[in-house]
Amino acid sequence: VEPDTDLDASDTERSDQERLSHKFQRELNAGLVGLVLLAVLDGADEDLYGYQIAKRLQDLADGNPPVKQGALYPVLRQLSSNGLLASRIVPSYAGPPRRYYRITEVGRATLAEWRDIWRNTRDFVDGFMDSNGAAS
Amino acid sequence: MNERTAPRSIEQYLAALRAALAGEDPALVQDALYDAEEYLRAEVAANAGRTEADTLELIASTYGAPEEVAEAYRTTEKQVRTALAPPPRTPRRTALGRFFAVYSDTRTWTALFFMLLSLVTGIFYFTVTVTGLSVSFGMLVLIIGIPFFLLFVGFTRVLALAEGRLVEGLLGQRMPRRPVYPVKGVGIFESIKLMLMDRRTWTTMFYFVLMLPLGILYFVIAVVGICVSLGLIGGSVMGLLLETGVGSGAVNVDGMMYHGPSPLFAPIVIIGGVLLLTLVMHLARGIGRAHGTLAKHLLVARTDQT
Repeated sequence: VEPDTDLDASDTERSDQERLSHKFQRELNAGLVGLVLLAVLDGADEDLYGYQIAKRLQDLADGNPPVKQGALYPVLRQLSSNGLLASRIVPSYAGPPRRYYRITEVGRATLAEWRDIWRNTRDFVDGFMDSNGAAS
Repeated sequence: MNERTAPRSIEQYLAALRAALAGEDPALVQDALYDAEEYLRAEVAANAGRTEADTLELIASTYGAPEEVAEAYRTTEKQVRTALAPPPRTPRRTALGRFFAVYSDTRTWTALFFMLLSLVTGIFYFTVTVTGLSVSFGMLVLIIGIPFFLLFVGFTRVLALAEGRLVEGLLGQRMPRRPVYPVKGVGIFESIKLMLMDRRTWTTMFYFVLMLPLGILYFVIAVVGICVSLGLIGGSVMGLLLETGVGSGAVNVDGMMYHGPSPLFAPIVIIGGVLLLTLVMHLARGIGRAHGTLAKHLLVARTDQT
């Protein structure tokens, strides 16, 4: 469809676009990862450590979650520092001692509030996406 | 670019991550490396059918390339620091305002609490370390000497984690979240050798022994400083009250009569007491900062070490 006059220029354009999309995804993730982690731990019936949490996200997203799993650990620490998660250290034979997390009461209350905020935001954004999609 | 340098083993991945995090806080680097190692070892174990190199190839798309992961830690760390920092204080314009602003700084009060607490923790750490070392060396000729020493070193690492949490909570210095653990994949003798050669094994013990004299010093500074300044303020206020006719003109303690400073001097003594108390607060905040740095140097490995 595009008149491909200059191959180099279109390549640069594509990589620019990829970079922008990558940045957009990262900015979206910034707040959403915390919400998802709280939801995962709220639904868990036992304490979970980093790798287990990462695997649950991967399973839910059919093996390809929009967030890199390496980015989950610092967010777990952030939630824990804010009192939304409690944690304990358990020694492991297979590697470093593991930190197991569970959601606190404050965490549950926060999750309920964040869930409402997320639903409102999603409906608001979807409203525009639907109308724009119909127009174009 | 990433394909060219894609790590083929856990060790290579960790080395790349350490390089990507060069210059960051050592406590952050230790946490990031342990987080990655936990994930990578679990992932390699879960894919027992594949070789380590094959599994590591997929890591960039699931866990993230070392550079990406390093970036995530940097960004999130900044957010945590901003979110957990005490609310920004309104900057005082005058020198006098800045001098007295020390009272509204949360760090002053937490540092003061740390100074009082350090007498108790100092005695405990000192006793544990001196007992552990003496018993270890005493039993070195017996067969149980070595296991005992290993247990003791393990205990100092857990204790160092606990002290780190205390230092982070009260003094605001970022400390690691997981205890140091023995290197995997090497024999028992190699692992003992690495532990003995690890600078941190010895600096941790040194820190614990040092905590007794430091704890005594901190406790004495805090208690004497506060008592003397409150005594100067309280005694003069009481003296002024007694002079104005409240009570008998003197305080009787066990048959000894104490008089406050003369009404002429009392205001000067009160001002002196307030100044001294404020100086003690400044000192507490300064000691808090200095001790945080000391703890980080002795309890956390430098970034160029494992």
